[in-house]
Amino acid sequence: MSKIVEIKSVFAGYNDEIILKDVSLDIFDDDFIGIIGPNGGGKTTLLNVILGLLKPLKGSVKFCDDLRTDRNNKIGYLPQQNKIDKKFPITVKDVVLSGLIYKSGFLSRHSKADKLKTDNTLERIGICNIKNSPIGELSGGQMQKVLLARAIVSSPRLLILDEPNTFVDNQFEGELYEILNELNKEMAIIIVTHDVGTISSYVKTIACVNRSLHYHKSNKISEEQLALYDCPIKLITHGDVPHTVLKKHNH
Amino acid sequence: MISELLQYKFITNSLLAGILASISCGIIGTYIVTRRMVFLSGGITHASFGGIGIGYFFGFNPIISAAVFGILSALGIEFVSKRSEIREDSVIGILWSFGMAVGIMFVFLTPGYAPNLMSYLFGSILTVSTLDILLMAGLSLILIIVFIAFYRIILFISYDQEFAKTHRIAVSLINYILISLVALTIVLNIKVVGIILVISLLTIPQSTANLFTKNFKNIIIASIVIGLIGAFLGLVISYKINIPSGASIIFSLVIIFILAKLFQLSVRKIKLKKQKV
Repeated sequence: MSKIVEIKSVFAGYNDEIILKDVSLDIFDDDFIGIIGPNGGGKTTLLNVILGLLKPLKGSVKFCDDLRTDRNNKIGYLPQQNKIDKKFPITVKDVVLSGLIYKSGFLSRHSKADKLKTDNTLERIGICNIKNSPIGELSGGQMQKVLLARAIVSSPRLLILDEPNTFVDNQFEGELYEILNELNKEMAIIIVTHDVGTISSYVKTIACVNRSLHYHKSNKISEEQLALYDCPIKLITHGDVPHTVLKKHNH
Repeated sequence: MISELLQYKFITNSLLAGILASISCGIIGTYIVTRRMVFLSGGITHASFGGIGIGYFFGFNPIISAAVFGILSALGIEFVSKRSEIREDSVIGILWSFGMAVGIMFVFLTPGYAPNLMSYLFGSILTVSTLDILLMAGLSLILIIVFIAFYRIILFISYDQEFAKTHRIAVSLINYILISLVALTIVLNIKVVGIILVISLLTIPQSTANLFTKNFKNIIIASIVIGLIGAFLGLVISYKINIPSGASIIFSLVIIFILAKLFQLSVRKIKLKKQKV
């Protein structure tokens, strides 16, 4: 277990509005972190800071090892699906190949190794059959798999997923978490979910982001612990459905 | 009739202009349409009229000043919309009308009658000069080289800029270069169909091509071919019934689009019928 990203008392925001206040988080190479929190609380802002899309106003983000030292980017990113133009004329194969964009230089030739990598990734995610389809013909779940394939084709050390469970059905969500669980053996994963209701039991730790960040080092809370804390929400559950209750905290 | 037409130099020039316009607009139009930059391109087109007015007033080639003006407004829109709190489409609206206002002011300040002003507004492919042809040929060559050499980078950035940024690609730089090429393409094609109509050369062939292919590269190639057919038909109509070539070219392109759409619909119907049986 080694540390790959170190976020230290980061303040970040857009224009004059500070959204993230004094956020610190260490990410280790075997982490599977679920990020939850209300809309506008700064989940996406935090992702943007980690991805290097947004410079923090204060504080530092350090990438350990070779994560950000050369052109060979070691962070895989799956954006929110509504940011993607579904009418754009591009095939599944090309979308996945674009995960190796840092290699496409002059004359735009991709090596055989790149094409092989793309094929292997398509197979791993189970979407070989739609390889040559234009993205406009895909369902929400298929699209999500394509974006996941693009995120991991470069064999990243950190995989960041922004609300991958929107626009998909429950069956796909189960499938997705199975794949992520497998991937977690090779890379750290950060997943942002839009509601607490459906976070995977594979998630190891939970970070609650609402302007500030509250890190729950475990994804489980025992019944004794439950009794000790006031629960901020009412829980309705059917018997053995796994669920997590986080202790009340102030942001 | 064709050999008779080719005897006139202005006819060969206009044919050449039609071919070159199809190439440059086929390539840049595909970029504009797939990135949903049609309104932005409309803004650049009209803003460049400011450059034409300035060219008239100071007495140099209006196309040169329009190119400078067009590129500056394109870069301005790209720069301001990414940074300020003003919405991008509002920035475009402001520059759109500002350019027109500057153009009208300078045209009216220019002493005497402004010759050929109508040809800039509505296009006049028959008055295309040899210099215009050379500029268009140079532009087409640059576009072909850029789009072949950097095809994948352009495709990937157009598809998902943010993702490209996370991979440390110089997205802003490439955006600035491409938007300048958009402005140049618009300005150099103004002579062919005019400010009011140039946006059609950048959108109608692409929309027609997009009916049949969902592949970026194929849309470029098909748009060029469709543009060529439209330009040739338009020129013949323009010559036959003596109307401005810009209007007849766009008229032909729209007819081609409608026919293509009808063809696509009937093919779909036949397919559906076959499935039912």
